[in-house]
Amino acid sequence: MADVVLRADGVHKSYGELEVLRDVSFEVDRGQVKVIIGPSGSGKSTLLRCLAMLEAPDSGDVYLESERLTALTDKQLAPHRSEVGMVFQRFNLFRNMTALDNVMCALVEVRRLSKREARERALEFLNRVGVADKAAQYPDELSGGQQQRVAIARALVMRPKAMLFDEPTSALDVELVREVLDVMESLAAEGMTMVVVTHELRFAHHVASSVLMMDQGRIVEEAPPEQFFSAPREERTQRFLALVE
Amino acid sequence: MLASFDGHLFWTALTSGPYWRGALTAFELTVVALATAIVIGFFAALGALSDRRRFRTVAWIYNWVFRATPTLLQLYFIWYALPQIWGVFAGHWFTPFAAAWLALSLNEGAYMSEIIRAGLLSVDPGQELAGRALGMSRTQILRKVVVPQAVRIVIPPTGNEFITLLKLTSLAFVISLHELLTAAQELAASTFQYPEPLAASLVYYLVIVSILMVVQSRLERRFSWTSQRRRRGAAVPAPAVSHDAR
Repeated sequence: MADVVLRADGVHKSYGELEVLRDVSFEVDRGQVKVIIGPSGSGKSTLLRCLAMLEAPDSGDVYLESERLTALTDKQLAPHRSEVGMVFQRFNLFRNMTALDNVMCALVEVRRLSKREARERALEFLNRVGVADKAAQYPDELSGGQQQRVAIARALVMRPKAMLFDEPTSALDVELVREVLDVMESLAAEGMTMVVVTHELRFAHHVASSVLMMDQGRIVEEAPPEQFFSAPREERTQRFLALVE
Repeated sequence: MLASFDGHLFWTALTSGPYWRGALTAFELTVVALATAIVIGFFAALGALSDRRRFRTVAWIYNWVFRATPTLLQLYFIWYALPQIWGVFAGHWFTPFAAAWLALSLNEGAYMSEIIRAGLLSVDPGQELAGRALGMSRTQILRKVVVPQAVRIVIPPTGNEFITLLKLTSLAFVISLHELLTAAQELAASTFQYPEPLAASLVYYLVIVSILMVVQSRLERRFSWTSQRRRRGAAVPAPAVSHDAR
């Protein structure tokens, strides 16, 4: 078997009457970039949240490498959560902290690094995403693109085994999308394992190892990007692509 | 026409020992009762927002009892009835000040819990989600992210509560606490003059509230999350990394 980093096995999830995930199985190998597309309400975000251990599946299992996460209690899960980085549509930066403090926070609180060590590492990662000059600014003083890059640095600094992106550019002004995609592309080029929910089909085309189509809580189709975009097998995928492109 | 206002008597009242001590007592009682009420209110707010039904119920009952009954009645109850119910409160340590502290803290805690609950709810849940994704515990998120942001929302209504509480301390007059109203009452009784003694106590309330207003505006500035205002406030050293001027 290949070197699987994250795996969902027969995951079901409902909110009340609404079935959001129906028997979803999914895995991502080390260094792979999987892009998930699909209409809103198809379960993409919920799948990411289950993989990030922010939601517990009703049934089915989630594995991080060989660890069965669904067997752990909420308390036991906390340290594992930092091994999977999560980037949100609305950035979700801590608004009472500067960019630097945002990136340092979990290093000090979760990893118990000294302030000095945490600051050094945080600056290094802010530099990597190109916002080191904004280290002393508060989120409200940054553009959306800068905020999202700080959010990426905040997740990366924990040295996660995989990064999950939940529509990372959907809340951005058009001209700020590129700077975030650039960071993501260079991450992919460095071999980061990634799962990306996005409507940026060009990004999917260039970067993805494979593309998945989700609809009504199911994975409808998965294929390498060339095949997925030029010759989708499923009628549902064809309809979706026709609307998006 | 202020034919009968005796400026000398007014000044004597203003600078007399009983007034000073009365004002100090009122101020001290307000500060300790508010501080205690903030602690009680914080836990009552966490209870009200808890996932567990038991905590929600306890918080609800506390809130209901102390907001639905008159403060004066609560004060009477704690001073006269409580020592008869519970021997611990019959001791000498249970002074009028201690009774007023207890009564006003419990009363004010109920109001503070609503204010703090609103403050906690004002922080968008996305930040909590991000904290959890980073592996932070709920307590860490509360301490580092949610509470500091809630504080900013909570400061202005808490300033209101301080003023309300300061005025409520005059109720403790009825359980023979020597506060400002006691001083005025005693002076009026001995001089048969009301305007000057009462006016002098008004002045003290105005002074205390003015001090509060200054403290409040300083606090509000400290809890605003922009690098600019922090520098103007000079509370925090200028950041080492440069940023553009705005």
